Amino acid sequence: MKWFKKKNKLYLSDKQPLSTLGMIGLALSYVVLIAWVIAILWPLFQMVVSAFNGKQEQYLMLNDNFEFSFEHFKYLFSETLYLTWVKNTIFIAASTAILTLTIVSFTGFAYSRYRFKGRKASLMAIMLIQTIPTFAGITAYFTMHSIIGSLAPWFSRQMMLILIYSGGGIAGNTFILKGYIDSISTELDDAARIDGCSSMQVYRLIIMPIAKPMLAIIALWSFIGPFMDYLLPRVLLTNPKSFTLAAGLFTLISDFRTLNQPAFAAGGLLTAVPIVILFIVLQKQLVSGLAQGSVKG
Amino acid sequence: MKVTLKDIGKKYEGREEFTLKNIDLEIEDKDFCVILGPSGCGKTTLLRMIAGLNSITEGDLLFNDKRMNKVPSKDRDIAMVFQSYALYPHMTVYDNMAFSLSMRKERKKIINDRVMEAAELLQIKEYLYSKPSDISGGQRQRVALGRAMVRNPAVFLMDEPLSNLDAKLREHMRVELVRLHKALGTTSIYVTHDQTEAMTMATKIVLMNDGKIQQAGIPDEFYNKPANIFVAKFIGSPTMNIIEGKMIKGKFVSDDELIIITPSLNDTERLLAFEGKSVSVGIRPERFESGGEFGDTFTAKIDVVEMLGKEKILHVRLKNDSELIISTPGHYIYDENEEHSFGFDVESIHFFDTETGLRIN
Repeated sequence: MKWFKKKNKLYLSDKQPLSTLGMIGLALSYVVLIAWVIAILWPLFQMVVSAFNGKQEQYLMLNDNFEFSFEHFKYLFSETLYLTWVKNTIFIAASTAILTLTIVSFTGFAYSRYRFKGRKASLMAIMLIQTIPTFAGITAYFTMHSIIGSLAPWFSRQMMLILIYSGGGIAGNTFILKGYIDSISTELDDAARIDGCSSMQVYRLIIMPIAKPMLAIIALWSFIGPFMDYLLPRVLLTNPKSFTLAAGLFTLISDFRTLNQPAFAAGGLLTAVPIVILFIVLQKQLVSGLAQGSVKG
Repeated sequence: MKVTLKDIGKKYEGREEFTLKNIDLEIEDKDFCVILGPSGCGKTTLLRMIAGLNSITEGDLLFNDKRMNKVPSKDRDIAMVFQSYALYPHMTVYDNMAFSLSMRKERKKIINDRVMEAAELLQIKEYLYSKPSDISGGQRQRVALGRAMVRNPAVFLMDEPLSNLDAKLREHMRVELVRLHKALGTTSIYVTHDQTEAMTMATKIVLMNDGKIQQAGIPDEFYNKPANIFVAKFIGSPTMNIIEGKMIKGKFVSDDELIIITPSLNDTERLLAFEGKSVSVGIRPERFESGGEFGDTFTAKIDVVEMLGKEKILHVRLKNDSELIISTPGHYIYDENEEHSFGFDVESIHFFDTETGLRIN
């Protein structure tokens, strides 16, 4: 009876029913996808388990011995400069995000709304510069820092790092924001101007609130960047006290004097916390499409 | 406020040609002036120049004898309604309407009074606190009008404000706009490509083409005394019939010699100078006489009959296959493929110089 009922179920999909070959194809796709998911989630899972596993010693061992403990976190906070690194990273990340947002706001708006000499050429130049990896400029950064450092001693290596991160971010993000502002009707600008706005006010009161979703994404990306990057801080920062999280944590797996792999796992796990917090804060902006309904519908 | 344009021209950056040239226009206080023209004729550019959104390349723009060329838009005492309404999507209807006043740092109470007053007049009170994305097109249109109204501007500019509405609502809003114009007592300048809107709403029409003013005047003149062939063909639906021909011995003879017209006495004098020259005759579809008992007639075969209820539009073909459009009252009986003879209402024939396109009579 049950079988009969199932046969009679209404076919509601708009797609044509699958043929046998289609079924096999679908099954294969699922196999690939599930394998992919495992490949991503398994290491993450191992990291979480190891971070809380009191049975783990200096080296990570994949075995069944498990004892829940915060031992590795304790080690992280008492024996290493973890908190300093967190502070450094958040300082660098937040500064980068703020600097990038501010400058990109101006450049994106200007490139979208104003016509000026060299507009196309400079846009092209920005795009081409994107193709050069940041690391290629490392010697230049070194010389630049030594010159600036001798002129202004307060200009630390961390600030140099902030400049490099935001400088790299500005180029790409200008493009993205310009594209987004291009899609906002210029009649809104006109209306605002008649209503009494100056150019700055047009951006601040009208365009910026509409472009918020895009600005949120740019902020998130620029914030995440310094958390992910290992290479530049490793080269530029020399004092362990000024390390970022990535550079600092790496000392836990690269140097046999400080080797502690489970603590590395624990530190990695905690790294996610600030990013997740920012994500939650920006969530509303990230998912909204405000520009709808501004013009005719 | 009286708006005067003196010899105004506009050239866009990076363009070879002037978009507008030698525009002279006077719009009296409390006029409802409609700038009409096909797309690309420069009418929106003209409006944007009056609004201060586009710069004026040459000439003078005067508001009550005060030169406004370099005055920023916000200080021109104008308000504008845009084709897309341009409502600020992140603000509520109330905030949209209050925005211009709060930019002028008006007191909260005054702002509130003005917004409420406008909302009352436009019947948008129920959704004052909705976002523009949550209300319908017609309602957005009203909000856009309200936003312009609360400022009590001296000049009200509108850029095709009805083109995004459906036909019924457009008809309704037309009347509403005229009523609003009268209630506010401002000067209104309205841009459209729709001749019905122009004819029904305007106290003054300015018809533009190719960056030039073709004719400016009251709606009645446009229909009954078009200044040139372009105006004659642009105004009126169905389009006026234009027949090309020559003046021979005081009579108009079409090029194919199928149509001969004896002009009325008044016109004969004016046409004397055109003896032997090319002349075009314009005749409105409803000014043909059916039955053909009056003076000059021609016979034609009915090709297509369009039944509109109160009238029938006949598309007829002459012997050489050239087409004319004739409108007759709806209760007359005509059938396709019938041959009929038609005459002309001689008093209502428009004569144009074929070379220059200008009106003769």
